[in-house]
Formats: sequence, structure tokens, C-alpha cells
Amino acid sequence: MPARNHSQWLAKPKLEGGEWIDSRVYSDQNVFDDEMERIFKKVWIPVCHESELPKPYDFRTTSIAGEPIIIARGPDNEVRAFLNVCPHRGMLLERRPSGSFLEGQPSGNPKRITCMFHAWQFDMKGSCVYVAREKEGYQDRLCKEDVGLRRLRCEVKFGGFVWVSLDDNPKISLEDWAGEPFDCLRKSIDAEPLEVFHYHKAIIDTNYKLWHDTNSEFYHDFMHYHNRVTGFNDAYFARKNFAFKHGHVVVGTFEVNYENYEGFESRGALSFPHLPPNQWYMVDLFPGMNFNLRGSALRCDVVTPLGPDKVMIEFRGLGLKRDTPEERETRINHHNSIWGPFGRNLHEDLIGVAGQGTTMRPHTEPRQILHGRHENQTIHDEIGMRHYYDEWGRWMDRLPNDPDQPWHERNPGESAEAAE
Amino acid sequence: MHKNGHDAASVVRDTIYRATMALDDQKWEDWLDLCDENFHYKITAFSPEINKDMIYLQGQRKEVETLVRLLPKHNTDHSPLRRHTSVYTVDVADDMSTASAVSSFVIYQNMLDGVNSHLDSGESRLFLIGKYHDTFKLEDGKAKFVKREVRLDNRRLDKGSHWPL
Ligand code: FES
Ligand SMILES: [Fe+2]
Repeated sequence: MPARNHSQWLAKPKLEGGEWIDSRVYSDQNVFDDEMERIFKKVWIPVCHESELPKPYDFRTTSIAGEPIIIARGPDNEVRAFLNVCPHRGMLLERRPSGSFLEGQPSGNPKRITCMFHAWQFDMKGSCVYVAREKEGYQDRLCKEDVGLRRLRCEVKFGGFVWVSLDDNPKISLEDWAGEPFDCLRKSIDAEPLEVFHYHKAIIDTNYKLWHDTNSEFYHDFMHYHNRVTGFNDAYFARKNFAFKHGHVVVGTFEVNYENYEGFESRGALSFPHLPPNQWYMVDLFPGMNFNLRGSALRCDVVTPLGPDKVMIEFRGLGLKRDTPEERETRINHHNSIWGPFGRNLHEDLIGVAGQGTTMRPHTEPRQILHGRHENQTIHDEIGMRHYYDEWGRWMDRLPNDPDQPWHERNPGESAEAAE
Repeated sequence: MHKNGHDAASVVRDTIYRATMALDDQKWEDWLDLCDENFHYKITAFSPEINKDMIYLQGQRKEVETLVRLLPKHNTDHSPLRRHTSVYTVDVADDMSTASAVSSFVIYQNMLDGVNSHLDSGESRLFLIGKYHDTFKLEDGKAKFVKREVRLDNRRLDKGSHWPL
């Protein structure tokens, strides 16, 4: 068809309902606000890795759906999560990204989480252990036993990641949430302790789902010279996408020919435990987490949506904790060659989603985004996105191709929230 | 300082500034001409988030050559990078055969693409800051880079880059 006029441009595509979505899903502020309430405050998010707080009293800070969070390792070695909010007058308890509560702070004692403002102190279980001039100010009306921190659901699982849910009573256990998609990796990432060696973040003017889409579709291989020369062969095109309940997708493995990119080497010698050489698995978890194991290095992306057109993506790279310095350096090189901030692929992926973000700013004209490729669920089939938006519709009670319409009316008999 | 030591230090300084100009102009070969056969290039950063020294990219001269030669095959942000380098210290070895230098750099992105080139092109944005830790071989009145460590202060790298810094 030649270039289209306005009404042709806006006409519904000749595809089935689930094969395209409305761009307002990516650009509308109300949709975004609902996503924070209905999805991000309900699901399990891997906020960091246990190796980032290896010793008792180590901490990390993070946030989910705008709520600041502290992760702390207790003297009992348990990793716990709390809101990073002082129960007194709402000061942020810990301002640094990481550190140790073993050191005393100007306002407080060692081994305590101290609020710098009025010196209330908390232990590693979140109990309040000190209120300055408690009796003088509160007499018997309020005591430290009444003002503990807000504890959050927290589990260390699937390769040592620290998973947190803001929902006190998650409808789905973490095991039921992600156990099945992780089956393909579990033996490899749970055989022995892992360790983070890479961290960087990007803040991109785009919708978080566009990043997840990119991680869920391989049709964009065409923009990666690296993937074209190391991948395109029969085994690659036979690679399957597997849809799991709760909106997750796994991309099945095949053997990558890294040597076909000049200067790159096989990763066989440093494969993760139980993983045949140069295999490549990818786990995409709803609503925006990605675990990507390319033989010798594991990558994990976590999105923190900041607005309909803004997302922070945190990138981690992991190896085995017992790596020798030489092994570690090789893993790091493998990781960086494609995935590092100066690697061959990541830059291209980020340019791609930033460009989508530019055309889908809030208040731009709604249009259709096509997810309609069917190729027997193999690598260039867009089943990953179709599966995701089906789940998204349930959680949001919005139709992905008409987001002002409730999902449940078109899907009578099915429960609107997949979680139930 | 010995007169020759003084000369050697200014040769080192000159070489660092020439490298800055070659990199700004994306004249990768000119840049590599300033580097020894055994040149090693490395971009590093310390992450307080994970409490680790990190390597973001590294390679021997041959790998860097391949990297820049394959650049046209890759999709890259078009906004040129402009470096402001200040050489802080130059230390010439007693035998005058090697030298090391520490420079501070600020890299600006001179927007061409931006998020929306209609709005952003022509503007300059702070891209990266850090220090160059360079090691040189001194020979025939010339200084050749043997090692360059680009030590970044940034861990937020947004779109990142395909180009050497
Ligand atoms: S706000 Fe924390 S002690 Fe007052
Ligand atoms: Fe990609």
C-alpha cells in the first residue's frame, strides 16, 4: 500500500485482536498510575543480589513504585526488607545506595539503623530500640514497641536474587510466581553461589514495557550486527519461545557461534554449571525483569518505571562466586562485549526503545503497535509480547488494544486478575 | 627537573592532547597511531552500589582496532562526543624510557540525535566525567600510549556508546 491518509492510518489493522495494541498503553498517565497500583505494588521484584550485601549489617537501598526500601542483612545472616521511612516524621532512614550499619553514624550507634533527624534507632529486624527522650515526650502514651519499621515480604531465591513484594499478602508465592520459567536455569544458577560483578543504570525517555518488549522479541536481531553474524542459522531460527502462566516467557536455547564475530571467542570453557557450551537461555518475567544467561555470564535487567515516558533500567552481570581472578576477568569480558554500556548490542537496544519513546510521548496521537508475527512460536514469532499483554489486560482490567475498555467485559467468565 | 625530563613531560602532554583531538574527530587511526603495538585500553569504574571495581570494556590494540573497524556495521547514536582534557600530573621514569600521566576529562555529547533531534540537536549535554590514567613508552623523542585506563565516575550511562572515550 502506498503512504496512507489519516483515516487509513488510524484504521484497525487486518489482524486479530491480540495481535496489535494501542499505543496509549505506553503513553497514558492514567494507565501508568494504574500500573503502579495494580501491578508494581503487587508483584515480586528482584531488587538486588545477595552478594551486594555479603556481611551481617550490610545494607542496600532501592525503591518499588516510588516507595523507598532498605534491604539489610542481620547478624543472623537473614536478609530483610523494610520501607526506608522513619515512623516518626517520615525522614528517609538511609540515604546511601549501600554500606554497613556496623559503623556508627553522627546521630546514632553502630549496629543500628538510625534516623539522622531525631535519632530514633532500629535493629536489623526493624524493631525500634531507641526513641530519644521517650518518657519525657510520650510519657506512657507511645513507646518504642509501638513504632517499628514497616517490614516487607522478602525472599532470597533463584540464583541468590533478593525479591521483595510491597503486598503483605501476595496472592502468589514467589515459587509459584516464577518457579516454572526458572526451571531451565535453576540447575545452573542454584548449583553454587553467584556474585555480581557488573552494575550500571540507564534512565531512558521511554515506557518500561517497550524495554521489556525488546527483551521478549528477537525479531530485532536485524539491528544487531553481532546477532546476525553469530546467530542466523537453522538452529537459531528453530529456537522456541515458551509462554508460562503469569505472563512470563522463556526463550529456548541454541548454540551461539561467537567466533563468527571477528575478535570474539567461544565461551565454552567457562560455562555456568550444568550448562552445555555456548548455550543461551532467556527468562522474561512479567512485568519487566529479564534474566539472560549466555554461557559464561548471567545478565539481569530490572526496570523501575518513572512515568509513562521514563524508565530506569538497572543492569547487573554475574559470575560464580568462586571464580579465580582470571576466570572472572574472562567472564567480565564476555559480558561486556555485547551487554556492557560500551558493548555492541546494549547501545543499539537502548537507541531502539528511546526512538519508540519519542513517537509515543504522552498526548501523541494513539496508534497501533503490531505484535502479529506468527512463526510457529520460534524466535521471530511475537508470541512473547502477545502473551505479556494478555496478562497485562487482566491485571489492569483494560484491553490492550482499547485501554479505556474493561478487560473483563470482553472476557466473561475469566477472572480479571490473573493472580486470583 | 632535568631539562630532558622536562621535554619528555611536554611530549607526553602533547600526546594526550593529540589523542583527545583525534578521538573528538573520530579519527580512530590517528588515535591508534599514537599507541604502541602493545597498547591496552580499559574503561573502568568503581560502583558503590555493589561495592566493586568494575571493568566496562577492555582490549589489546588488536581488539580495539577490530572494534573501530566494525563500527560502521553497527547502529550508533550520531551525536559526536567532545572531550575536555586537563593533564594534571606527568611522571617521567629516571631512565627516561617510560612515563605515566593522570588527566581529568569531561566528555560532552554534542546532540545530533538526542531524544528528538528537532528539539535536541545543537545542544551539548554532559555525558561522562572521570580521569585518564595513561602509561607511555618514550622513544626517539616520541611518547606512545602503552596503556590507557579511562576511569569513569559515572554508573548511570543511559544509552552508553560504541566509541572509545
Ligand atoms: S523523622 Fe526520624 S526520628 Fe524524627
Ligand atoms: Fe537486543
